[in-house]
Amino acid sequence: MIQAFTYDPSWTELAKYDINNENDIVMVRQMVRQYAKNFRMGIVEQTRITTAVSELLRNMYQYAGGGQVTINDGNVEEHHALIVTFEDEGPGIENLELAMSDGYTSGAGMGYGLPGAKRLVDYFKIQTEPQKGTSVRIMKWK
Amino acid sequence: MNNFQEKRIPIIKIGHYLIVSIQVDMHDKLAIQLQSQILEEIEKTGAKGVLIDISVLEMVDSFIGRMLSGMASMASIMDAAVVIVGMQPAVAITLVELGLEMPGVDTALNMERGMEMLDKRIARMDEE
Amino acid sequence: MEEKLNLSNVKQRIEQIEEVLSSVAAGDLDIRLDIEKEDDLTGIEEAINILIDDLTYELKQSKNMQNELQEKLKKIQDQQKTIIQQQEDLMELSSPVSKVWDNILILPVIGTLDSQRTQIMMENLLQKIVETGCTMAILDITGVPTVDTQVANHLLKTTTSARLLGAECMISGISPAIAQTIVHLGIDLSAIKTKATLQDAMIYAMKQNKKRLEIDIHQSMDSFEETEES
Repeated sequence: MIQAFTYDPSWTELAKYDINNENDIVMVRQMVRQYAKNFRMGIVEQTRITTAVSELLRNMYQYAGGGQVTINDGNVEEHHALIVTFEDEGPGIENLELAMSDGYTSGAGMGYGLPGAKRLVDYFKIQTEPQKGTSVRIMKWK
Repeated sequence: MNNFQEKRIPIIKIGHYLIVSIQVDMHDKLAIQLQSQILEEIEKTGAKGVLIDISVLEMVDSFIGRMLSGMASMASIMDAAVVIVGMQPAVAITLVELGLEMPGVDTALNMERGMEMLDKRIARMDEE
Repeated sequence: MEEKLNLSNVKQRIEQIEEVLSSVAAGDLDIRLDIEKEDDLTGIEEAINILIDDLTYELKQSKNMQNELQEKLKKIQDQQKTIIQQQEDLMELSSPVSKVWDNILILPVIGTLDSQRTQIMMENLLQKIVETGCTMAILDITGVPTVDTQVANHLLKTTTSARLLGAECMISGISPAIAQTIVHLGIDLSAIKTKATLQDAMIYAMKQNKKRLEIDIHQSMDSFEETEES
């Protein structure tokens, strides 16, 4: 397991979910949509974060066979943020720079969808180590 | 709850057209299944046009987006035209931001416009 | 009358002093030393009582200040909220969307466009397109002096999104200044239909409407002929 992100103790944990199959993906998507609604985000913002989460869940399931998602509510700098963290112990991403560049598609012809997801959120950070795993954290505020 | 995987999205035939109304939050497997289903129906019924109604979908991510584009290409190989109907504004904005602009895919505001479009398409195809 | 220090109760009084001091340390500010005699120890006892009085006073002062500050902070936060809401309302008002002709939506934009305003405009326009079912929309920016990269990209996003919905969105009223900016910024606007004036855009839109109607008429005429033959 690679060095994962730290969780600020002042954050509230809204959910912690293991992703083992496609149903889990659909479930977490809907959870995130609901939390975004609770945060009073507009419909476009809700759709943005739900879509970003869907992209990242797919990656985790497709390339790592599954992993864990944690959803937190916390203050980051002056923002009240919805924080979603994805952690897996999969093969990691060999060339992160390439994966984060637009127009990159991996062997399966789909790419990791990372640059797209990054554009949809207010904060995006990824840590990966080949053979050890990948962690991604995104945040959306307002 | 394994219901998601067993769900089949209904495909209805009206005249020469197939109407597919996607009402559920699809996971990848279901999306691929739908693609095959539609192509099979086109072959079975000889339909010339397919209207895919996504007016209920609150989210279309890159996979679903690519499935819809792919659908249009595959159907045209089988001599049928596909129109995506009723995309929600938030979905359109997000798709564009994701970088998925679906060039070459016909879209329509609603069923009425969608059928109009298909009528025109098919009239044109007949003339060729 | 000053008395000589009585050793027998000095120990007692010192113990009392210790007790009071620890109570104060623990938070009890109501406690005071009983002063009965007047001797060498009295000075210290009185001093301690005065110290506790001062402490109590200081604490009350700072508590009052804290409360005042809290209230002021709340007031400011409320004001901030109001201002933000007013700004949002203003932005919505400043970009009215109006339906003009059957199937054609016109959005006249006036004033400086910033990223946030353009974003709101985009959402409103797309929503209106769905509500009215208009397949033609004109974004008229005659009243906009300049645009930056972000705004230009948002405009591009608006027209692309409109296409995904099944509508055509064009931009009219691009000033020479904006045209230059766009070219200099290297933004590719070739994907959008642009017209110099709102009038040109309206004419184009109406022609498109007519075309649509003509094709419908042709089609119904064809089917009419078919039935005649059979």
